[in-house]
Amino acid sequence: MILNGWEAVFFWIFSIAAIFAGLLTVMARNAVHSALFLISSLMAVAALFILLGAEFIAGVQILVYVGGVMVLFLFVIMLVNVGAEEQGLSEISNKPRQVAASLIFCLLLVIGLLFAINTGYQGLQKRDEARLGGTTEQRRAQQQNLATGATGTSRITTDTQQVGNSLYRFASLPFEIASVLLLVAIIGSVMLARTLKQEAAVDDVDPEVLLTKVAQEADRAETLQEPT
Amino acid sequence: MFSLFAPIIAFLFQQTDGGRFGVIWQSTRSPDLSKFLVIGALLFIIGVAGVLTRRNIIVIFMSIELILNAANLNFIAFSRYLQDTGNMNAVAGQVFAVFVIVVAAAEAAIGLGIVIALYRNKETIWVDEIDILKW
Repeated sequence: MILNGWEAVFFWIFSIAAIFAGLLTVMARNAVHSALFLISSLMAVAALFILLGAEFIAGVQILVYVGGVMVLFLFVIMLVNVGAEEQGLSEISNKPRQVAASLIFCLLLVIGLLFAINTGYQGLQKRDEARLGGTTEQRRAQQQNLATGATGTSRITTDTQQVGNSLYRFASLPFEIASVLLLVAIIGSVMLARTLKQEAAVDDVDPEVLLTKVAQEADRAETLQEPT
Repeated sequence: MFSLFAPIIAFLFQQTDGGRFGVIWQSTRSPDLSKFLVIGALLFIIGVAGVLTRRNIIVIFMSIELILNAANLNFIAFSRYLQDTGNMNAVAGQVFAVFVIVVAAAEAAIGLGIVIALYRNKETIWVDEIDILKW
């Protein structure tokens, strides 16, 4: 798998953009800025997916991550943001000693991973040397055979078709399990995020009974805490 | 557009002779699988650093998204590599990436629900102040 010409240029642009946006996500003082930098990082990674020939995953990435998950993140930031962080009243990271230890750990992880990738990839290349030979030309020839789109300049790939076939044939059971997982996530987040009042309304509990119960709980918590 | 950048591109992409610098230059001009793996590893480590150092629980969740995205990048890169080596079932990497995205979405929904419930009860989103399980 070798990218040539313009593909290489775009590879470097988008990979550097992804890494810088990721760094800024972690370092930004304001959580909203953090979310926006994460969005740009995800977009850059989606562009890398397109360079790798995975157009469907790139589309899913933009629709689901950028359009769904990140909007959810922004909503929650707006709901809970306390504003002390961006005014400099509050530390954005843990205690210096913890930060130093974790950064040393990350540095070791960088060295280890780069070493592992380097040696592992050399072995992989040696194994697949024969089969990797003329694949770039083959791929280009295959792409020339694809049908042209309505504009006449671009070509329609069969990538999405292949992914769909694989998803419904080989991976149909995991696909169904994933739908159950999403259902559980929906119900779970609704259960977690509702207030006491909403809970009472749904469970059809008399509000006064509920209030006395809450008071009892608070009393018990206090008596539990007192001896310590 | 092209004519504007053409001299720069021609300068960057001229043929160079061998030597150590030449090898590095060659691999920079035509990135292969290992470059994608390095980018994925760097994104993963940035995410790990965010999880370990930040206090804001929402930023920690965002770092987890970054980690999952790095894993996705590795899946897609290996999928392309297997396609190029002529493997028949090479789309499996892309299918797995779909499942990673599904799990990430579910995780974000549940995690942010927990954050909302936590903020209602404890009035804080700093992870070092949420220590009721610590004795």
